[in-house]
Amino acid sequence: MSIATPRYSAWSLLRARFAGDGYWRPLWTGRRLQSSYDVVVVGAGGHGLATAYHLARDHGLRVAVLEKRLVGYGNVGRNTTIVRSNYLLPENHYFYEDSLRRWETLSRDLNYNVMYSPRGVVDLALSDDDLAGMARRGNAMRLAGIDCELLDLGALERFCPELEPRRERRFPIVGALVQRRGGTVRHDAVAWGYARAASALGVDIIEDCEVTGVHSTGSVATGVETSRGRVRAERILFATAGHTGLIGRMLGVPLPVETHLLQAMVSEPIKPFLHTVVVYVFPGHGETYICQSDRGGLVMGGHLDGFPSYTREGRWDRLEEVVEGAVELFPSVGGVRILRQWAGTNDMTMDGSPIIDRLRYDNVYVNAGWCYGGFKAIPASGAACATLVATGTAPDLIRGFRLSRFATGHLLDERGGGPFPVRL
Amino acid sequence: MTRLICPFCGPRHLREFEFHKTVAAEGGSAFARVYERVDSAELSIEHWQHVGGCRGWLLVRRNPSTGAVTDCQLVGGGEPA
Amino acid sequence: MSAPTRRGSRVREETVRFTFDGREYLGQRGDTAASALLAAGVRRFGRSVKYRRLRGVLTASAEEPNALLTVGRTPAVIPNVVAPQLEIVEGLELRSQNRWPSLDLDVASLLQAGGGFFGAGFYYKTFIWPSWRTYESMIRSLAGLGEAPRASELGEVAVEHLHCDVLVAGAGPAGLAAARAAARAGARVVLCERDPACGGELEFETGRIDGREARDWVGSVLAELKSLGVRVLTGTTLVAASGGEMIAHAEPGGLPGRNTMHKIVPRTLVVAMGAVERPIAFTANDLPGVMLLGAAERYLACYGARAAASAVIFANHDRAYPAALRLADGGIRIAALVDTRAEPEIGVPAARDALRLAGVRCLAAHAVLAAHGGRQVSGATIAPLADPARPMTIACDAILVSGGWSPALHAGVQEGGQREFDPLAGGFVARAQPEWRFVAGAANGALELGAVLVDAHAAGERAARRAGASGSAGRAPAGEGDAAPGWRPFWRSPAPRADEKRQFIDWQNDVTVADIRQSLAEGFRDIEHLKRYTALGFGGDQGRLGGLLGAAVLAELRGEPLAEVGTSRLRPPFHPVTMRSLAGLRAGAALRPARCTPLHAWHESHGAVLESMGLWMRPRYYRANGVDSFAAGIAEARRVRESGGIADGSTLGKIEVAGPEAAAFLDAMYLTRASTIKPGRAKYMVNLREDGLVLDDGLVLRVADDRFIATTSSGHGLHMLSHFEHYRDAEWGGRGVTLTDVTEAWAAIVVAGPRSRDALGAVLGAPWQVPLAALRHMDFARGSYAGHDLTVLRASFSGELAFELHCRPAIALALWEALIAAGLPPYGLEALDILRVEKGYLTTAEINGQTTPYDLGMESLVKLGNPCVGRELLGREAFHEPSRPRLVGLRAADGRGRFLAGAQLVVPDAPSRPLGHVTSTVYSPALGEWIGLALVARSHAADGTPLLARDPVRDGDVTVRVVPTVHFDPSAERMKA
Repeated sequence: MSIATPRYSAWSLLRARFAGDGYWRPLWTGRRLQSSYDVVVVGAGGHGLATAYHLARDHGLRVAVLEKRLVGYGNVGRNTTIVRSNYLLPENHYFYEDSLRRWETLSRDLNYNVMYSPRGVVDLALSDDDLAGMARRGNAMRLAGIDCELLDLGALERFCPELEPRRERRFPIVGALVQRRGGTVRHDAVAWGYARAASALGVDIIEDCEVTGVHSTGSVATGVETSRGRVRAERILFATAGHTGLIGRMLGVPLPVETHLLQAMVSEPIKPFLHTVVVYVFPGHGETYICQSDRGGLVMGGHLDGFPSYTREGRWDRLEEVVEGAVELFPSVGGVRILRQWAGTNDMTMDGSPIIDRLRYDNVYVNAGWCYGGFKAIPASGAACATLVATGTAPDLIRGFRLSRFATGHLLDERGGGPFPVRL
Repeated sequence: MTRLICPFCGPRHLREFEFHKTVAAEGGSAFARVYERVDSAELSIEHWQHVGGCRGWLLVRRNPSTGAVTDCQLVGGGEPA
Repeated sequence: MSAPTRRGSRVREETVRFTFDGREYLGQRGDTAASALLAAGVRRFGRSVKYRRLRGVLTASAEEPNALLTVGRTPAVIPNVVAPQLEIVEGLELRSQNRWPSLDLDVASLLQAGGGFFGAGFYYKTFIWPSWRTYESMIRSLAGLGEAPRASELGEVAVEHLHCDVLVAGAGPAGLAAARAAARAGARVVLCERDPACGGELEFETGRIDGREARDWVGSVLAELKSLGVRVLTGTTLVAASGGEMIAHAEPGGLPGRNTMHKIVPRTLVVAMGAVERPIAFTANDLPGVMLLGAAERYLACYGARAAASAVIFANHDRAYPAALRLADGGIRIAALVDTRAEPEIGVPAARDALRLAGVRCLAAHAVLAAHGGRQVSGATIAPLADPARPMTIACDAILVSGGWSPALHAGVQEGGQREFDPLAGGFVARAQPEWRFVAGAANGALELGAVLVDAHAAGERAARRAGASGSAGRAPAGEGDAAPGWRPFWRSPAPRADEKRQFIDWQNDVTVADIRQSLAEGFRDIEHLKRYTALGFGGDQGRLGGLLGAAVLAELRGEPLAEVGTSRLRPPFHPVTMRSLAGLRAGAALRPARCTPLHAWHESHGAVLESMGLWMRPRYYRANGVDSFAAGIAEARRVRESGGIADGSTLGKIEVAGPEAAAFLDAMYLTRASTIKPGRAKYMVNLREDGLVLDDGLVLRVADDRFIATTSSGHGLHMLSHFEHYRDAEWGGRGVTLTDVTEAWAAIVVAGPRSRDALGAVLGAPWQVPLAALRHMDFARGSYAGHDLTVLRASFSGELAFELHCRPAIALALWEALIAAGLPPYGLEALDILRVEKGYLTTAEINGQTTPYDLGMESLVKLGNPCVGRELLGREAFHEPSRPRLVGLRAADGRGRFLAGAQLVVPDAPSRPLGHVTSTVYSPALGEWIGLALVARSHAADGTPLLARDPVRDGDVTVRVVPTVHFDPSAERMKA
């Protein structure tokens, strides 16, 4: 039986001041691992927790989430917090738009403030070719009913004066694509909010529990072997971004996935001056995306580290490259200091889009291949993946993410980079 | 990760090299060669190029969990001239 | 206001004037902002970011969480400058932070007086209705530390690359001993020290080494290091290690301006970065006047600045006693020395007796329960630990606290390496390390000077040996200083539950014991969860001050040993690094050096509007030809078709492919065969990526049986070269083919238009008349001009009679000017684009990495071809579905409408379902209307199909119809002229 946390509100905070110890409860409870479940979800990151929440809420199933380490210890707490749906391909933009709509109401749905901040996401164009590519993408979005605008320099200056778009730069800015509903979400809060909501619905969230194998009879999986013993399950979902290739090996299925490192960094806090998210891609392998958090730190990221890694130790020269772009965009912050750098492992697929599909067994599913875009997908992924696991049929929203697309050629290659996650 | 030791140029900083892809076992279909990657936490076999040096293509064996490079030779097994 | 001159190891007599919050102060040369202000009696340096509590200076080091100042005037301020590191200079303007309108009267502090309400998790539980966005801008207005700079006057940053045998990080007693041992053994040594002076704690600790005063020993070692050729970098912090390279950052004077990034590649590393003194949690331990004991000692010894008139010392180890004696010696009255340990655990009876003789109350088994005072410390509440309910209050203006030391292991253990809790040292110390790294001194668990020196000497010698040095390091220095600390665990003083919200753990983020208790109650048991939920350790010190304290409090509340709780993982950099330093040399024009063609200077001086194409700079149009790119492009294109013109094509990628297997190799790289090209001929060729999609197109010239020049799109040269080299080495067996990038070995000039042959003939003169006349389309001839190699290729990207001149850069300008003189004016990229779209030729807009050869209408090439890279995957079913795109031409249905690249194509009855998109459009002067190329579903690609080009982000919708891709001169009469 779950021990419910109080409903959160300003009122609850006020009451807590007088209620003393025992008023606040654990957000999720580490109940005992049962021997059998309807669904075992492997991985208590954003996708695993969101899927578990929807499995319990929408489908009434008994669910356990098994986590090797800690709730939200992977990429859900390591990303640069950006959410958006400004994708070119219909399979992607309809999916991410579904997610963005869910972000808009998620704090209320979960009764947990995930701090969705629709401050806009600005992609800078540095040439007419860039602008044409952005127009193509923007038009595709608008036809799908998704907000986005192509800004000329004057409009960009009004939208984001701090960018000083007319300033002389090595690569002058010529315009931008902006999605105003895009923005940021407090990343850790997403994991905690889903964990709390799932736990309240009776989902067992078991930390320090590593899944080491799958038990099966013929084409049907019967359960998983874990560091805490065997657990029977009607259905199994692997949602272990960053370790998907290893899951593939465990199941004996080679996957079109390489695991790469993506790093992020944050400056010391300064008074907020940058009120949107800016994405700056420039010739010579330059890429910097930057926003300023509600604490005042400049949060930045850029390219992958560029080779397979599970170390979570970002390379220093990449940090320098990201900062180069930031200083070029905002020379005035040159005297501000970088506090911390960190990194997450990303399962990069061979077309840059995710894989949500059945894998190897009739009742085993994988939710993977989020590349560096998994955070913003969490709400839509959780809902759609739950439907897939509960009904055995993929909803339209994720039908394009099937694994067989690589063999059939139905590739979802947004940038035209081909089967090379780090090709320049 | 530590430095790569190029068979031609000796130990050099990582920034001189570009990773290309992980390589699967010999044989396999064209599809497998292009799309199926061996994603191992203990041993990754990779093609790199020394673009900031001799431009040699290298076959690198690394432990992606520690970054340790266990072997670095020319692809195709050739010897530096 | 003339105070007597202070004496200290770092200050000189010279007076320096500066201002703080608008008031003028006098300091001495060598002072830091913290020491000068402390000496002037200033106690309040700023306010905390969350609760807006008044704060003083806590440390004398870079870890300082409170005394962060804004330097300079708006807009070119530098925020968050660490006062204990900032060297004052004449005229420096300093401001306190997080206060409005003034430090002592802050409006927001009144708003947040409800302390505790804003505890851990506050924001997650509220501001849910109606949405976070409703409140966000108000909350953001209170966020941040210092003012955001809106202008910058920073200069260049130097980047220095160093190689050495042994790098020693830290120049305290351990670092000095290690560096000397390594240098004596014959190693090339670099020593870097974060502070502006060497010596570490020997700057204030009294001790003797090898029979002399410790401070004199420091001087003699530095002299010896100099004579041994050791490079000593003071004011330089080792911040990270990556890829075998150590990154050290120097910011002289503690202020961005003359920074240097050192990139050091050592064979071995000695980490001797000492340990960071940490506070103890007690009520109101953040009041201005609470300071680390070691900091008070440093201010006194180095700057002659007294942090207090009358101080209570609060500690849990023996080091506090000699420190108290030294402080008393320096003129600070010690009101009491409060030791949490019981009498028998105190290991320095002599020092204790001396203190008592001097009249200092030494209280064993006592603790400071709380600091007293409104705006700064005015007293300390002290009680016996056995009976905390019977406290007494002792008046004082400072509480000097020391809870032990946390070894500074951070940068040293980023890559590999382990650590373990050492109950004697009271911190996590280094254990198994990679073979190239040696940890010495405090970070290795050595607790007193003699042991530190022996340990570090041995580490230095081992590091030198490992790096290949073989000389003798001599004997280890023998030293005696303060006794081993005899540290006993004591993390926080007893306090009623209500006061826990004023027991601070992390000053910069206002994390208190109450926050830890609450986050634990909410299930955040793991130290990593605690860090994320409370922001403990997110400050500039990354928790080096309070991280272990927080972990210890968590351990206490969990009822588990500290060793089990552990500390959160520290992230690079070790110490915050200025962004301008990280950008290093790559800033401004040097962000990415431009690639310029041999004709660049001519373009610049002749009115060309240059545009970046990748890293290349290319003329977009020439100002003389029109008011803007649109007008000039039309004028230039029209002139090419009417008479002729020349364009700089030097950016074209060129790869020389040579060797007995060259032809066979190229057959494998391209869709069609190179082996059938005859020497002296060129051929249009297309190559595929490994997955079957089109990678690039270009002309391949066969120079000889065994030699080809393959041209690539501009900016693709290096990538294509890698692609070729990979295939050669990994698949081809590596033999029989050499590949050379000759892009910059040949300038290229395009000569196009009806007059091109005549003008070219006139320029090249007699030797070229016959070969020129004989050139058919796709023939080339080789010869010379002005004594340098010249190849003339008859090929056209404009549909006109045209030639490409590939010449040595040395003659490019002469040739170009001769062609101009012969009446062929230059044209730029705008015109080039018009001409090629009129002819339906492809660029990266169509070869975009998403198109197959079928999509681009290259079925005939696929059929003809041979086994090649990418072909095997062309058969995939999706590539042959009716929804796949097809390259088509487009015109406006009414012959007038403008439509642009990037518009989406639909049919009117399904206006939201894109069938494709417009890839390129131009206004065609030859046809007098807008024309374009597009990729549209095969089901809708038939000639004459009406479509709607939808462009809601720009122009709106235009009705168009599908036409052939070749808009102009479909029979290619002009090209064959």
